[in-house]
Amino acid sequence: MPGSSTLSDKQAANIVAYLRTLDSATTSGPATGDPKKGEALYNFSGCSACHMIAGQGGSIGPELTRVGAMRGATSLKARLQDPGANLPQVGDGGAFGSRWAQYLMYRAIEKNGRVVEGMRVGEDSFTIVLKDAGGKFHGLWKPDLRSLEKEPGKSFMPSFKDTLSAAQQDDLVAYLMTLKSAQ
Amino acid sequence: MKSFLYALVIVFALSSAPARLLAQDVTYEQLLHADSTPQDWLMYGGDYSSQRFSRLTQINRVNVHSLKPAWMYQPNRPLQPFESSPVVVGGIMYVTEPLSTVTALDARLGTKIWTWSAHLPEKILTVGVHRSNRGVAVFNNTVYVETLDAHLVALDATTGAVKWTVHVDENSQGYAMTGAPRVLDGKIIVGVSGGDVGIRGFLDAYDAKTGKRLWRVWTIPSPGEPGSETWGKDMAGTGGGGTWGTGSYDPELNLLYWTTGNPAPDYNGHNRDGDNLYSNSVLAIDPDAGKVKWYFQFTPHDTHDWDAIQVPVLFDDTVNGKPGKYLALANRNGFYYVLNRVTGEFVAGVPFVKETWAKGLDEKGRPILLPNIEPTPEGSLVYPDGHGGTNWNSPSYSPQTKLFYVSAREVGAYTVAGLPKVDFPGFGGGGRNAMSGDDSYGAIRALEVMTGKLKWEYRMLAPVEASTLATAGGLVFATSNEGNFFALDAASGKLLWEFTVGGANSESNLITYEVDGKQYLIGASGNCFVAFNLP
Repeated sequence: MPGSSTLSDKQAANIVAYLRTLDSATTSGPATGDPKKGEALYNFSGCSACHMIAGQGGSIGPELTRVGAMRGATSLKARLQDPGANLPQVGDGGAFGSRWAQYLMYRAIEKNGRVVEGMRVGEDSFTIVLKDAGGKFHGLWKPDLRSLEKEPGKSFMPSFKDTLSAAQQDDLVAYLMTLKSAQ
Repeated sequence: MKSFLYALVIVFALSSAPARLLAQDVTYEQLLHADSTPQDWLMYGGDYSSQRFSRLTQINRVNVHSLKPAWMYQPNRPLQPFESSPVVVGGIMYVTEPLSTVTALDARLGTKIWTWSAHLPEKILTVGVHRSNRGVAVFNNTVYVETLDAHLVALDATTGAVKWTVHVDENSQGYAMTGAPRVLDGKIIVGVSGGDVGIRGFLDAYDAKTGKRLWRVWTIPSPGEPGSETWGKDMAGTGGGGTWGTGSYDPELNLLYWTTGNPAPDYNGHNRDGDNLYSNSVLAIDPDAGKVKWYFQFTPHDTHDWDAIQVPVLFDDTVNGKPGKYLALANRNGFYYVLNRVTGEFVAGVPFVKETWAKGLDEKGRPILLPNIEPTPEGSLVYPDGHGGTNWNSPSYSPQTKLFYVSAREVGAYTVAGLPKVDFPGFGGGGRNAMSGDDSYGAIRALEVMTGKLKWEYRMLAPVEASTLATAGGLVFATSNEGNFFALDAASGKLLWEFTVGGANSESNLITYEVDGKQYLIGASGNCFVAFNLP
C-alpha cells in the first residue's frame, strides 16, 4: 500500500470522494427545524440523562458537545429514528488499522450463566470491555465466556420515530447541529 | 607474589565471566548447522530452511502459563512501523530500528551495547514502502544491514564501526531497502523495494569481505529479453517485481529461493497484457553463477497488489514411500502452495482463507480465474484484500507435528482501478478500501504441510499480520494486531498463555534463544521490544 504522501492532490481528492460514498456518518442535509424548540425538547425528553453537553448530563451515551461538527443533519435524524442502525465507525482503515463500529451492542454469557449486555468500548483478540445500561464497565476474558454475540441494530437509546413528530425531530436535529464548539 | 596470582585470577574471572558479551565470530559452518545451536538465533528465519522451528524446550506446554516479561527495549525513533526480526549470537542480540538503525543489546539484560544509524538524506522516496527495517545478517564478526536509501552497510559486530558501504541503486528512481540480508558462504544477498512505483526489480549478491558486487538477477526483463513478451506491446510505464522479503537456501542443492512482488501499475493491468514475468514468483537461483534455474509464478498478471514476497519454507517429507524435497508458501493471493524444490513443479495448492478471484488451481498450479474480478473505477469487491490472506510476516513449520502455522486474514476489499501507466514518482492512483474490522477477522491456522488441509485454527479479532514461531516445547507463539503475545498448543491450537503489551502493529517476527541456561521469547509491539522468560 503506497503512502498517501505520494498521491497528487487530484488523486487524493478522487479517493476522498470515493471514500465519502462509503460513509454516511457525515452525510449532511439542511437542518430545517427550530433550534430553540429543539433545545427545549432535548431538556424535556430526558436526553441529558444519558448524553453530556459541555460537562452537563449523563455518561451512558456519546458526548454531544461537538456533535454538530461531527455529524450531518440527515445522519442525526436517522439516528433519532433508528439509533442502532448504521453505527458510526472509527479507525483509519489504512495499512495499520481497520475501521470499527462505535456503540456496537454485545451480549456475553459467562460460564456461570451471568449475562452481560452492553456497548463495546474496547476489544482485542482475547478481551472485551462492555459498558452496560447503567454506565458500568465489564472487562471480560473471552476464553472464559460461554458465548459472545454481536447485537447489530440494537441500542440502549430508544427510537424517537413514533414518540416525536417529524417537525419535533427536525427541531431536535437543528439544535444538535448548533453544538459545534470545543470547550 | 600471592597477591599477584590473586590479581591474575581476578582478571581471568572478570574476563571470562562476561564472555557472552563478546560478539561471536559466526562462521559459515555455524550457519549451515544453525539448528544444532538453538541457544542462538543466527539468521532471519532461524536457519536456511526458514522453518522458524526452535529446538529449545525449557519453555513448554506445561509451564508456558508462567511466562513473564524479563526486560523491554524501546527504540530511538518511535512512531514508525517496527518490523525487526532479531538475530542472537552468543548472548548478543542485534535488532534494527526505524529508519535504518542497528542496535546491539545484551540478550540477557536488554542493555544497549552499541547503536549505529545511517546518515540518511532528508528526502527519501518510499512509495508503497514501510519506512522500517526487518533485520540484519551476521557473519564473520560483521553485521550487514540494508538502508532505506538503498545502501548495504557492513558493521563491525563488536563496535558498530562501519567496515564498508555500497550504493545498491538509486533511491531517486524508487529503489528502497528494508529487508534482512541473507548470508551464504562469503556472499551477502539483498533485495529491493519499490515495485509499486515501477522499479525494475532485482536481487544482488555482494562479496561479504569487500562489498564488491558479484551478480545481479533482474526480476523483470528489459524489452526484447526473454519474458518481455509477457508485458504486452511494450513495457513503457510498467515494472515491479520487488524482492523485499528474505529468501531461503538449500545448501545440498545449492539453490537460493527468493520471492518477488507485484507488477506495476498495481491496480490496472490494461497496459501490461500477459503474465508479467517474473512478478509474484519464486525464483530458484544458483548463487555461484547468479542464474535462475527455475521459477514458479503464483499470480500471473496480478491487479490486486498480491506481492509473493512471503518467506519460502523448505521441508523434506516422504510421500508414498518416496522421500522428497519441498517448498511451502502461503501466499498473499489466498492460496497455500507446495512445490518440488528441486524442479519447481507444482505439488499441491488450496485456499487457506476465503478467496473470490479463482475457481482453484490447475494441474500446474496456475489459477483458474473467475469473472468480474478486475478493479473498476467504482471499486470491485474481491477476497482477500491487498494485504492478502497473509502478508510478509513469517510463518513457521514444526517437523514434530508436520503442521505449517500461518497468520490468516479473512478480509475483502473494494479495489479501485488506477492509471494504466506508472505515474512516477507518484503511485498512479487507484487503491483499495478494505472491509471494516467488524466484517472481517483473523486467525492463526495450522495446515497439514503436504496438503494445506486445515488442522485447527485460533480465531483473532482483526485480520492478523503477525509471524508465528514453533518450538520443540510443543508450542506455537504469535502476536495479534492489538498487541497480545500468546502461546498455543502446537498439536491442538489450545490457548496456553497470553500477555497484553497493547501496542498496535505487532509485526516483528518472534524469535526464541537461550542465555545462561534461560530460554527467552522476544518480539516487538508498538514501539517496544519485550523479552519474556520463566521466573
